[in-house]
Amino acid sequence: MDENLEEQRAAGAPEPPSQPEGQAGPPSGAQVRRDASAGRDLYMNVRVLVTMMAVFVLLFTFVARVIVVSGPSMENTLWGGDLILVWSLGYEPKQGDIVVLTQESYQEDSIVKRVIATGGQRVDIDYGSNTVCVDGEPIREDYIREPMLTPGWGEGINHVVVPEGCIFVMGDNRNESADSRYPAIGIVDARCVIGRGMAVLFPFRHWKGL
Amino acid sequence: MNPMKHSVSGRLPWLACTAALALVCAALRKWQLGSAFDEGTGLPAPGAQASVILVCVIVMAGAWFVLLSMYQPMTRRPWSPGQAHRWDLVFLDAGDPVYPVLVVAAAALALAAVPVLFIVGVGQFQRYQELLDAGLQTPSNNGMLTLATAAGAFLAALGLLQMGRDGLRPGRRGKGGFSAALPGVAGCVWLMESFRSHAANPVQWDYAPQLIAIVLGMLFYMDFAGMSAGAARPRRLLWMAGMTAILSAVSLVSTAAELSTPDVSLCSAQMGDLLLLLSQTLAAAGVLWRLPPNLENPPRFQHTPISPDPGETVIQEETTDE
Repeated sequence: MDENLEEQRAAGAPEPPSQPEGQAGPPSGAQVRRDASAGRDLYMNVRVLVTMMAVFVLLFTFVARVIVVSGPSMENTLWGGDLILVWSLGYEPKQGDIVVLTQESYQEDSIVKRVIATGGQRVDIDYGSNTVCVDGEPIREDYIREPMLTPGWGEGINHVVVPEGCIFVMGDNRNESADSRYPAIGIVDARCVIGRGMAVLFPFRHWKGL
Repeated sequence: MNPMKHSVSGRLPWLACTAALALVCAALRKWQLGSAFDEGTGLPAPGAQASVILVCVIVMAGAWFVLLSMYQPMTRRPWSPGQAHRWDLVFLDAGDPVYPVLVVAAAALALAAVPVLFIVGVGQFQRYQELLDAGLQTPSNNGMLTLATAAGAFLAALGLLQMGRDGLRPGRRGKGGFSAALPGVAGCVWLMESFRSHAANPVQWDYAPQLIAIVLGMLFYMDFAGMSAGAARPRRLLWMAGMTAILSAVSLVSTAAELSTPDVSLCSAQMGDLLLLLSQTLAAAGVLWRLPPNLENPPRFQHTPISPDPGETVIQEETTDE
């Protein structure tokens, strides 16, 4: 039956008239295809899911990713449990940005800090006056949680010129932050940066751009 | 089933190009591992020659496979009664043992990955629980995704076994090709696990080839399943198979290099990845072996009137109902 239809089509014959509802008759080509595609809908749904999964993972790998903040080192800008959007594609660290980086000399998991200075800049930290100077100029830090105290490990790295291709990072909660002052972390190679924090996505009460 | 005469010429360009490009890319990856990263930190050297050349070769391989796919001879056949789809038998050839051997070997490799991944996952889960019980900071990995990957590898092995069986048994209809969706879906879990384990790694070269290889493998298996689900894309399937083999070869080099790490848990996880990558490479090779000649001269059952229309033996057109 279907072969005849195909042969008729191949010969340029017109399509047979469609059957009125409820009447038996030869199935149309479309019906044959629909019947023949048992499981097609299921397959298409599965394929959409698999494709979406692939697209999401590739986006999270090369373009942007979502990470959960752990620990208090960035309070009051970021809180433990905050979900933040991190932009990776083509990012170069700039002073003042909040960045996600991995310093394996400290820990395998990534950490979130603020860039205080980039390559070629000089950083001077004065715990007495609670100021951080970059290239001799004190930087305005509205974001820090409380005045700095001398860390338990000593003053650490507090007078340094940042080498080219590196960054000096600190947490906004200076008194509970292991950052570039801490010798195990130190000055960070810019290639260790995963991306820049763009926004807090969740919880909604913390929603904001960074 | 009627005996089919398949010319070697149909599969030769695909197999030869894939093997050659996979070897070249693997060699480039080895060169890159030795020259494009700082020795102490493992961070990538900017503008390293090996990295640039490797990317260029992979892109050129993709373009070359596009051309091969476009010019792949393919027979258009009329619809036949009771046949699910014109391409649902396209992997059938009872007289050719190569395809089932390759696919069953792929299944065996996937099955071999199950205990490896299971042991790694259990170890990760136990370590997580110990730290949790001790009230210490827990790692981001609790082992559940690794265990899920082991379960996925088991499902993939079942799907691959069915694929091999369907390619050999002439008495079966071709709907068994849908089982290829199983390794495709299992690939999703593997992809998540692979992404999670590298989420904090700032060096994309360490894991991007593997992620892309897994993605290509997933899409390759889904297109394979589509051949028997009324959504055939034969040319795209050929392209996917070729690229899956090439990216898997690239990823195999780095995975094998990491097997020498002193961390036993990491080494075992790498072994699991290695087995799964080899598995999908063999499956892709099986498809490249069987599909091109069968697209030119599709297999059929006796009494199934599916001879090509006169004057329409070979066309250069996609023939799907999608």
